[in-house]
Amino acid sequence: MTETNDRSLEATVNFPELLARVDHDYEFLRELFGIFQQQIPSLLQSLQEAVAAENMKQVEITGHTLKGMLAALAAPHAAAAAALLENLGRNRDKIGLEDALARLKYALAVMVPELQRFVSEVRP
Amino acid sequence: MKILVAEDEPVSRRLIEKALKQANYEVVAVENGRLAVEQLCQPQGPRLALLDWVMPELDGPGVCGVVRRQRQQPYVYMILLSSKESKQDIVTGLESGADDYLVKPFDPEELRARLRTGLRVLQLEDKLVEAREDMRFKATHDPLTLLFNRGVILDLLARELARTRRQKGCTTLLLGDLDHFKEVNDTYGHVVGDEVLREVARRLVGAVRSYDFVGRYGGEEFLVVLNNCEAGAALIRAEEIREAIAGRPVKTTRGLLPVTMSLGALTSQFVADKTVEEILQLADLALYEAKAAGRNCVKVANPSVSAATPDCSVR
Repeated sequence: MTETNDRSLEATVNFPELLARVDHDYEFLRELFGIFQQQIPSLLQSLQEAVAAENMKQVEITGHTLKGMLAALAAPHAAAAAALLENLGRNRDKIGLEDALARLKYALAVMVPELQRFVSEVRP
Repeated sequence: MKILVAEDEPVSRRLIEKALKQANYEVVAVENGRLAVEQLCQPQGPRLALLDWVMPELDGPGVCGVVRRQRQQPYVYMILLSSKESKQDIVTGLESGADDYLVKPFDPEELRARLRTGLRVLQLEDKLVEAREDMRFKATHDPLTLLFNRGVILDLLARELARTRRQKGCTTLLLGDLDHFKEVNDTYGHVVGDEVLREVARRLVGAVRSYDFVGRYGGEEFLVVLNNCEAGAALIRAEEIREAIAGRPVKTTRGLLPVTMSLGALTSQFVADKTVEEILQLADLALYEAKAAGRNCVKVANPSVSAATPDCSVR
């Protein structure tokens, strides 16, 4: 059984919540993670381009999509970082845009490997 | 039960899909609002829908608005899914036409419970529609033969005659009466009489085209409206109908009974200036002539004379 009560893991992904969400169906969890891995590069690229171009509408849309995806994977911090970008985009607030993007990247850099490890190790 | 899931974000879409399939829903998943509208506005489209608020092309409230305008019946029960959770957002969502609102990330059990609520509403609608249709049928059909009742067949006749005048077409009216039907009732009883009436009705309907009308005019009298049927074809059609009745005996619980029908026929092109009542009177007189001529035959009214003294030649 994978250790799920580690503090760092709890901070990035709420594994009990995630497992409950997939009804402890580990194959399904792997499938969801596969979808996430497939989607995340293009979403991040789209977000980076939108931030660089200060395309606030696109920042809002991509931030919203990422927020939903990360919340569905029970990753609260990464989801909050995406939500911040969505709000900046909605409010056409360009101040802090780069910092918010960096915050999201950092959250993903911590969260993705942890989730990957959990998904590859977890067994029924 | 078929359910539409409209969600652009693929992880959430797959999660919802899985939760619903586990609850035995047949899931149709789409990734934007335009596709959601396409699905929901199909005649056999899903009647339950889970709609994300923020979607490309058309958002969830937009989908609700279009569906409410375009698909009146059957009702579509729509639940908005969104991370927006302020009171104002909920009000906006419901005002757009949604029936319920669920904040993401949702609990699968709560989602299923809310969908069960939706199912109850849809089942209630189905029962109401069924009851309404049942009442409509009872109000328009004869309970014994299931043909149009007198009021409806007369309305249909009036409508067809009006259309015929407008389009300069031709409608043929047949007034038929079962021969010696009183003897059937007196000899075998009303139960057998009813069996005969039901079978005659079935044969009449089988002998006309799908766009013709057949109604029960009185006890053993029937009215047939043959749309777009000109004088040249009227007698042939009337003979076919007479033969459909007389051609073989009717099987009843008291055995096989020979049944015949006398018919009075009238073609509208000769009665353009007459009222429905006058036309019916002419058909009735032609029927009377058929009875007088020995029954089991067709007489065609010649209204060029007068409704009071029709010139009905024996065919």
